[in-house]
Amino acid sequence: MRAALVAAAAAAVVTFPYWSRPWASPFATTLLRDALILAIFALSLDLLVGRAGMPSLGHAAFFGAGAYAAGIAGQRFATDQLPVTLGAAALVGAALALLIGVLVVRSEGIFFLMLTLALAQIVFAIAFQWTAVTGGSNGLSGVGRPMLAAVDFSAPDLMYVLVAVTFVLAVLVLWGLARSPYGRALTGVRENERRMRALGYDTARLRLSAFVIAGTIAGIAGALSAYSTRFVSAQDAGLGNSVRAFVTVLVGGAGTLGGPIVGSALVSLIERVVPSLLPTDLRIADAILGIVFIGFVLFARQGVVGLGHATLLRVSRR
Amino acid sequence: MTAELVFQQALNGLSFGALLFILASGLSLVFGMMDVVNLAHGAFYMLGAYVALSVVQSTGSFWLAMLVAPLALGVLGFVLEPLLLRRLRARHLDQVLLTIGVSLVIVDVIGQVWGREVRSLSAPAGLDGSVTLIGGVYPVYRLFVIAFGVALAAAMAVVYRRTRIGMLIRAGVQDAEMLGALGVDTNRLFASTFATGAALAGLAGVIAAPVFGVQPGMDTDPGLLYSLVVVVVGGLGTLSGAVAGSLLVGPADTFGKVLFQDVALAVIFAIVALVLLLKPTGLLGRIRIAR
Amino acid sequence: MIEIRDLRRAFGGVMALDGVTLTLADGERRAVIGPNGAGKTTLINTLAGETAPTGGAIRLAGRDITRLRPWQRARLGLAHVYQRTELFAPLAARDNVALAVAARRGPYRMFRAVPRSEYAESEAVLERVGLAGRESVAARALSHGERRQLELAVALAQRPRVLLLDEPTAGMSPLETARITELIAGLDRALTILIVEHDMDVVFRLADRVTVLHEGRVIADGAAADVRGDTRVHDVYLGKAVTVA
Repeated sequence: MRAALVAAAAAAVVTFPYWSRPWASPFATTLLRDALILAIFALSLDLLVGRAGMPSLGHAAFFGAGAYAAGIAGQRFATDQLPVTLGAAALVGAALALLIGVLVVRSEGIFFLMLTLALAQIVFAIAFQWTAVTGGSNGLSGVGRPMLAAVDFSAPDLMYVLVAVTFVLAVLVLWGLARSPYGRALTGVRENERRMRALGYDTARLRLSAFVIAGTIAGIAGALSAYSTRFVSAQDAGLGNSVRAFVTVLVGGAGTLGGPIVGSALVSLIERVVPSLLPTDLRIADAILGIVFIGFVLFARQGVVGLGHATLLRVSRR
Repeated sequence: MTAELVFQQALNGLSFGALLFILASGLSLVFGMMDVVNLAHGAFYMLGAYVALSVVQSTGSFWLAMLVAPLALGVLGFVLEPLLLRRLRARHLDQVLLTIGVSLVIVDVIGQVWGREVRSLSAPAGLDGSVTLIGGVYPVYRLFVIAFGVALAAAMAVVYRRTRIGMLIRAGVQDAEMLGALGVDTNRLFASTFATGAALAGLAGVIAAPVFGVQPGMDTDPGLLYSLVVVVVGGLGTLSGAVAGSLLVGPADTFGKVLFQDVALAVIFAIVALVLLLKPTGLLGRIRIAR
Repeated sequence: MIEIRDLRRAFGGVMALDGVTLTLADGERRAVIGPNGAGKTTLINTLAGETAPTGGAIRLAGRDITRLRPWQRARLGLAHVYQRTELFAPLAARDNVALAVAARRGPYRMFRAVPRSEYAESEAVLERVGLAGRESVAARALSHGERRQLELAVALAQRPRVLLLDEPTAGMSPLETARITELIAGLDRALTILIVEHDMDVVFRLADRVTVLHEGRVIADGAAADVRGDTRVHDVYLGKAVTVA
C-alpha cells in the first residue's frame, strides 16, 4: 500500500511539467528542477552529516568536479552521450572523494569539518585558476546537451524529467542504504565509533566508503547542474555551495530521508521567491538564509522534519 | 631563476607569510581558548577591509583606519559572543555552525552596503614607494608588512608569556572550565577572546588591502582558505603553530605561483596532505578531539 | 590462550604497567584485582588494543597481536566490555546486539534489509542475559543494570573466544550484581574470561585464578583461595608499602 503511494508520488514528480502545464508557468518547472538538483546534492551530504556523523563542509568540491567532468568529457571525447559525460562525472566525483577522503577520514567533529573545508577550498582555487582546463574565472561554457542515443534532453521539459528521474533513483538508493546493514553500521559509527571498533568494524574504511559514495552522488548532481545551465562556474565547487548544501540538510533535518528534500524546498523558496518580494536593489537572500540557519541551529537543531516528528509524538501522546 | 628573482620572491613569500600570520593568529587564538573554529573569521577580515575603505574615504588616513577597523571588529565580536555563541556553550560543533550563519549575514550585508564591485585601497603615503634592494626594486609597503608581522608576533609572545592576561590565556587554552572553577569570569574572558580574534582579523583586512585588494569573495579567498590552511599545517591553538604555519605556507604559495602558475594551489594541497598524513594535528599542534 | 609477556605502558613519567607477565589457559576464568591506580584498566585497554604498550608483547592463541588495532583483535575473537557503559544510545537493544552479530558477517551489505536471522540471533542473546521483552527499548531508556546486561549481550553476540570484563558490576545494586554474576558464571566453559573487579564476592564466585596488581606489577598470582590468604595482598589493600618479589 505504501509502496503504491510512493510510486504514485514519484510518478507525479517526474511528470510534473506535463500535468502542471494548465496552471503553472515554465518558470515553476525550472524552479523545481533546480530544487531537485539541490535535493540530490543535499541527500548525498546527509549520508555523511546525518547518517555517518561526518560534518563535511567541503562537499561542493565533488559537485563542482562532477560538473566540470561532464562538461570537459563531452568536449574532449566529442560526444554528448549521457553514459560518457554522466559516467565521467560520477567517476571524477568518486576519485576526488577517495583522494580527499583518505586524508580526512581519521579525524572527527570540528577538525574533520575544518579539513574538508580547507581541502575543498583548495579544489575551488585550482578550478578558479586553472584557466586552460576549467576556463578559470570565466567558467566553462559550451557544456554539451545531454543525449541518450537520439534523445536530446536539453529541452526544458525533458531536462526536468532527466533530473527528476535521477532524483527518484537517488532517493531509492539512499533509502536502500539506510535500512541495510551498511546503513546501520554507519549509524553505529556515528553513535559510538569506539565501540564499533571494539566489535570488529574497520571504522576508517566504513567512513571512507560513505565519503566516496556521497562524493559520487554529488558529482552526478553537479553534472545535472552543468547540463541545465550549459555552464560550469568555479563557484560550483566553492564554499558558498558547500554551505548551501549544509544549511539545506540541517534546516530540513539531518539523518532523515525527508529532511534534505524538505530543506531544499525551503532553501529554494528563500533564494528564489524572497528576492521577488523585496525591492530589487535589496539583495539579501543569503543574509536571510544565514539568519534562518542561525535560528535553526539555536532553537530547532533537529530541523523541520525533526520538529515534525517531535510534534507528532506529543500530539499522539495526548 | 636568477638570484635576484629568488631574493625578490623570498621577500614576497615573507611578506605574504607575515600577512598570513596576522590573519591566522586570531583564528588560532579563538580555537585554543574556546574550542571553536570561527568560520566567520574570513567575513571579519573582509569587514575590516571595507571599514578601512570607508575610513580612508572619509578621513584620508590609512593609519586611522588601522585603528578603527580592528576596534569596530572587536566591538562586533564582543557583542556577538554573548548574543549567539554563549547560548551554545559546550556544543562546539553547533557553535561552529553558528559562525557559518554569521558569515553569510555579514558578507551579504557588506555587499548591500558597500556594493559588489572590486575596490582598492592604496598604501599610505610614505609607505607607497619602492626601495632598491639586492634583488632590484621592491615595494616599501611589503617590507612594512614584514616588519609589522614580526612586531605583532613579538608583542603577542610577550603578552602571552609575561603578562597576567597572557597567563589567563595560556591557562584557558589548557582548560577553560578549570579557570571558571577557580573564580575567573569565563564569560568575560570568552567574549574578550572572541573580540580579540575578530579585531585581529579586521587588522589583517586593513593591512592586506593594499596588497590583495577589497572585493567580493575575499572572505573565502584569501581569508578563510589561507587562515585554515595555516592553522591546519602549523597546528591549531598555539601561537607558535600560527607562526610555523605562516612561515611555511607563505613562501610555499609564493614560489608555487612562480613555478606552477595556474596550479600553484596544488602545491598547497600537497603540503596540507603531507602534514595530515604524517602529523595530523599539525606541525606544532596539540591533540584536540572536539565534538 | 592469552600470553602477556613483560607488558609495559608509560604515561609520561608514570609506569602504569611495569613489566606484567601473565598467562591465561583456554577456558580459564581469571580475576585481576588490586587497589586503585594499580593498572588494571590500563591492562585491559592494552589487551583490547585501545592503548599501545611501550614495551612487551601479547599473544592470542599463539599469534602476536601486540601491534594490532582493536577491530583486528575483535575479528580474532576478543570481546571487550568497558568500565563505563558504551552503547549505541538511540538504538533499540536488539539493534545494539545486531551490530555485533553483523560485524561477523561484514558491514558492506548495502541493498538488502537487515536479515531476519540477525534479529533472531540478537533476541536469543538478549534472552540469555535476561533482557527478554526489552528488545525494542532504546539503550538510553534502559536502567543502569539493564544497560550492563546489554553490554554483556553485545559482547557475547560477537561469539568471542576471549572476554575482557572491566568492572562489570560497577554501580549495581546487590540484586543486579548477583544476577550478572550468575550470568557470567553460567557462560560457556570454552570461553576464556579476564575480569577486573573490586567486589571480592564476585571475584571468588567466578575466578579460577586471581592475579593481584600493584603499581603496575604483579605481586601475587595463584588459585583464588591462596590469594585470599596472602598477607602481602592484604597489606597492599591496606596501603602499606610492599616489596615486590
